[in-house]
Amino acid sequence: MAPLKQLERDNPIIDACFRDFCASHGILTAEDFLLHDLYELAAFAERLANSDRLKESITLMLSLIELQCRPLLNGMELLEDLHRHKHTLSTGDKGTDSLLQGGFREGQLTELVGPSSSGKTQFCMQAAASVAEKHVGRVLYLDTGNSFSPRRVAQFICASSDAALVQTRNVYVQEVLSRISCHTVYDIYTIFDTLQGLEVTLRSQVQMNVNKCRLRLLVVDSVSSLITPILGGSGSQGRALMVALGYLLKKLAHEHNIAILVTNHTVGAGEGGKTKPALGETWKSIPHVRLMLSRDHRNSDCTISILKHTSLFLCVFVFFLAFRRDCEDHNSQGQSTMIVLASFAIYAHLLEQCLFNQ
Amino acid sequence: MGNDRTRGWIRGDETAKQMLSRVLRDRAFLLLPPLHRVPLRAGNVVEITGASPSAKTQILIQAAISCILPKTWNGIHYGGLGKLVLFLDLDCRFDVRRLSQMLKHRLLEANRLGNGAWWQLEESNVKTCTSVQDKSSIVYDEELYVSCMKRFLCLRCYDSLELLSSLKTLHYRIRQQEACGSQVGVLMIDSIGAFHWTDRLSSSLALEKSNRKSLSLTNVVETVVQEMKKLLQVHSLVVIATKATIYEERNFSSKDDLSGNASSKAQQPPLREFMPSSWQAFVTHKIIIRKSGDHQSVQTGQQSLSAYSLEWLQPQLSSIDRFIVDDSGIVIVS
Repeated sequence: MAPLKQLERDNPIIDACFRDFCASHGILTAEDFLLHDLYELAAFAERLANSDRLKESITLMLSLIELQCRPLLNGMELLEDLHRHKHTLSTGDKGTDSLLQGGFREGQLTELVGPSSSGKTQFCMQAAASVAEKHVGRVLYLDTGNSFSPRRVAQFICASSDAALVQTRNVYVQEVLSRISCHTVYDIYTIFDTLQGLEVTLRSQVQMNVNKCRLRLLVVDSVSSLITPILGGSGSQGRALMVALGYLLKKLAHEHNIAILVTNHTVGAGEGGKTKPALGETWKSIPHVRLMLSRDHRNSDCTISILKHTSLFLCVFVFFLAFRRDCEDHNSQGQSTMIVLASFAIYAHLLEQCLFNQ
Repeated sequence: MGNDRTRGWIRGDETAKQMLSRVLRDRAFLLLPPLHRVPLRAGNVVEITGASPSAKTQILIQAAISCILPKTWNGIHYGGLGKLVLFLDLDCRFDVRRLSQMLKHRLLEANRLGNGAWWQLEESNVKTCTSVQDKSSIVYDEELYVSCMKRFLCLRCYDSLELLSSLKTLHYRIRQQEACGSQVGVLMIDSIGAFHWTDRLSSSLALEKSNRKSLSLTNVVETVVQEMKKLLQVHSLVVIATKATIYEERNFSSKDDLSGNASSKAQQPPLREFMPSSWQAFVTHKIIIRKSGDHQSVQTGQQSLSAYSLEWLQPQLSSIDRFIVDDSGIVIVS
């Protein structure tokens, strides 16, 4: 918090006399003003000898506060920002793209929920490959479990590129891979460091007008493994850090037009072996889009469904995606076939499995 | 003295026109379902509680649309208020596409009702245009759409400090906006408990000076309420705030939920209130939304929509509305 003294340099009216008056009301910083009724303060100032000057200073403080505020945007301005800066990025999977009406949207936080080995990391790597290749954007991959595999990403790139010669293909793959940077992050404090560093870099890039190959996708795989250790107990510290991380991500996404993809695991609810996304109620209001991945272990088909979406209507769509994820198959494109369900019985069963529990 | 007043009252010092304009200015607005049970007046503070997702923002968007739409335009009745909406986005995930989509839908619907012959002519056209954007531009008035969208004002806040400074300066900014013509009708907050945990953490940070107010949860909420009360004194506003439940309802039985029968109130567990008392005292109307199983529509057997039940807690009403959300917005089912 900025002490009032610092403001004196630019605004000479905030002099020692005014600061004394403020200190007598327990106001030491600019932020302290926010908690006070300024009309009441002005009324106090009225009783003092130099009331005019004090009131002038209070008005000045109010205008300083106003300067820090974000602008009030109307609907058309919001739409313009959306069309100009917030594009959709392909997830690398046609079925998911059509489910999400184009893919991830820049400025939004997409959460991928699924039990262990349901294909979350595969999905993330495929998305990273897709954004780096098709959208020529930089990708920052924050890996918390050493599960990032450049070789697998290269496979995804190879699968979708059509260069015939092995040599040109290798050059191409290397060029795409150079746009993906991976950082390992093992605890929540490190991720705060990384993200705050990123914010500073991005801000300076905006000032210098660097526009080539900007950061378009940020992947955190998995965010729940960073947050779960600090949750628990009755204290509010863990949850406060969780909420702060969520807001930091959303701020980065919105202000720098980055699509953010985070993964979350599932936990058993105890009742009849049903599972639900980890991180609890509070986290639910963080992501814009919540996707649920589940996998049928008999035929290794992955199902993806929308649990929450802020712009598609709130009902739950269910699509089945056969999402091939075997690493041996080099030609596997992770292509999905979309089978819109016909049978009501299967449908009800699926709903019970993956949607009711949350 | 009393005699004088009576005589003054009998004589009448207001023309019919003045009276009408006075009455109409703060006429109660009856919002669309599901908020249709209780007429809201300026100064009312409505709190909508529900777990995420439970169509809370959807309700806000629909209320906002009825506020930004004009009453009539080019001879077609839209039934709106023609006022500004101020949307404080504390969850930072408001999606303007949803607003735009719903607004277009409302415009088309009003056109259809107000212009029967046209509807019959281009029925096929309208049916597809909710999904295809370029087609829809033929059938609704672009100028009206733009003027409505411009009446929707949105402000994002990423933390409590930003919220407080926004509220401090909101009065001046509303003045600036109102200078352009229309008045602010509704102030929306989505959602009020967004910074609960971070504020609770700062409550524990000790400050060296005893008379200095800390940014604790109670202080922050108290100031928010105070600033809003000041706003309500000057502007005739309805405040609608959503509140996401941040605690899980522990004894929530999903079996009752499946039956889709949410009518018995005794089964519902009491909700855990987490907002400080200053906020609770500020709220005049309370609504709670619960998920109540799924609704299978007869026409589209393949698609099942989540159904929600809405209950008025303050004023307490015995009826519970069940509704679903589809591409046309909120539809009451029972």
